[in-house]
Amino acid sequence: MTGFADVMNGVVFADAEGNLALLNPAAAHLSGLGSVASIGRPLAQLCGRGELMDAVIAHHEAAGDRGSSTKVVEIHHSERDLLYIRLQTDVVRDAHGRAAGVMSILEDVTANYKTDQLRNQYLSIVAHELRTPLTGIKTFSTMLAKGRLGALEPRQREVAESIREQSIRLEHQIDKLVNLGFLESQEYGRDLQTFDVLELVRASVTPLLQPARDKTLEVSLDLPETAVAVQADRSDLRRALQALVENAVKFTPAGGRVRVFASIEDSEVSIGVEDSGIGIDPRYHRRIFERFFQVEDPLTRHHGGAGLGLFVAQGIVAAHGSRIEVTSELGSGAKFAFSLRKCGSTGRSGDEG
Amino acid sequence: MERTILIIEDEKLIIVSTQMVLEAAGFRVESATNGEAGISKARELRPDLILLDIMMPGIDGWETLTRLKRDPETAAIPVIIFTAREHTRGHQKSTEMGAADYFRKPFEPDELIELVEKHIGSQV
Repeated sequence: MTGFADVMNGVVFADAEGNLALLNPAAAHLSGLGSVASIGRPLAQLCGRGELMDAVIAHHEAAGDRGSSTKVVEIHHSERDLLYIRLQTDVVRDAHGRAAGVMSILEDVTANYKTDQLRNQYLSIVAHELRTPLTGIKTFSTMLAKGRLGALEPRQREVAESIREQSIRLEHQIDKLVNLGFLESQEYGRDLQTFDVLELVRASVTPLLQPARDKTLEVSLDLPETAVAVQADRSDLRRALQALVENAVKFTPAGGRVRVFASIEDSEVSIGVEDSGIGIDPRYHRRIFERFFQVEDPLTRHHGGAGLGLFVAQGIVAAHGSRIEVTSELGSGAKFAFSLRKCGSTGRSGDEG
Repeated sequence: MERTILIIEDEKLIIVSTQMVLEAAGFRVESATNGEAGISKARELRPDLILLDIMMPGIDGWETLTRLKRDPETAAIPVIIFTAREHTRGHQKSTEMGAADYFRKPFEPDELIELVEKHIGSQV
């Protein structure tokens, strides 16, 4: 057991009966336990344990059902203030596949975490600085384009409308930049409110209108007439929808079609995007939702992007208790759709929920 | 009867553009460029609704909201949080702190009007 003394990460191992069999110095230090005194005692009955050991125990108890798990826990350490510990727990099996115990590795990720926080703070400030002038551009151009500041000649209105669209596109890019930074720490679907999801669907298409026009794509909206209220995290859902629309525009060659739709099915609303694009080989249908995954294909290489859109979109939809389903064959377009529970009646949005 | 909206916001550009939208929809608009000034204007003018920015020099929007809701003179005025930054669970935090709603910048002028119409006159 002394071989683990030099390991920087904490290691905690409990045998099949739940008794502590190994606690290396790093784990003893992080958890505030004396290493020798505790060996052989049931993990769940350790005295003087802190928040970290509580988390370890919770993960050990769940390991039987869940198998491996990874989580970052925030703990208050007596000497070192706030620490962020990545806790990785797994069942250890013997040669016959029987559970021999549960092992946890504790890694101090405080330094990374603080760097992430700083980066996110910086991104958030940059976004604020960019959004402020953009608010002026978007507001003024919208007022102009809608004729609220007096009637315009058709050509003038076209220009005003174009300025408005470009500002919305820029807004979308800023959102993407910020969201990239928040990827690690993001817990989706937490800021729930009740609103008309169709309004959101319409809005999610706007930033992609110009790129679609540039490729002479025909973009259509196929939505029910009346408002459909859902309870969801509005800005998260907007990101998910925009990722789907953006992909459809990206992977549909010039002259193709993109259809954004919503339809009511009993107590649910099904929302999705269908395109006439290059399609996806069914063997990639699962992998496209993985982080950084992009189908390696000479045809798609030039599409760019970080391979995060669908990964984030699926995470967001999952947080709303649903799943994005894909229907596609190579060369014959793709359809991405998910369902959300409708909320009460179909009245206009009401936020106090 | 003319309805008054108070904008508490440090960016002049946002005040000017938002004011244009609201005035075109028939509202009277007053503004203050920091939280302290906003609170005294709210007490003096008793506006029908307040649009409140979060990131401001001096006391920020959250603190301004707390003070507005603590003061019996201003507590009943609906406040819409009006922000250009991401806040963790911003919508929930706003409503928990007594705001009527939470609205992101940049915004759609029509959505702003709709939101203002929805909350104006409503007691929070």
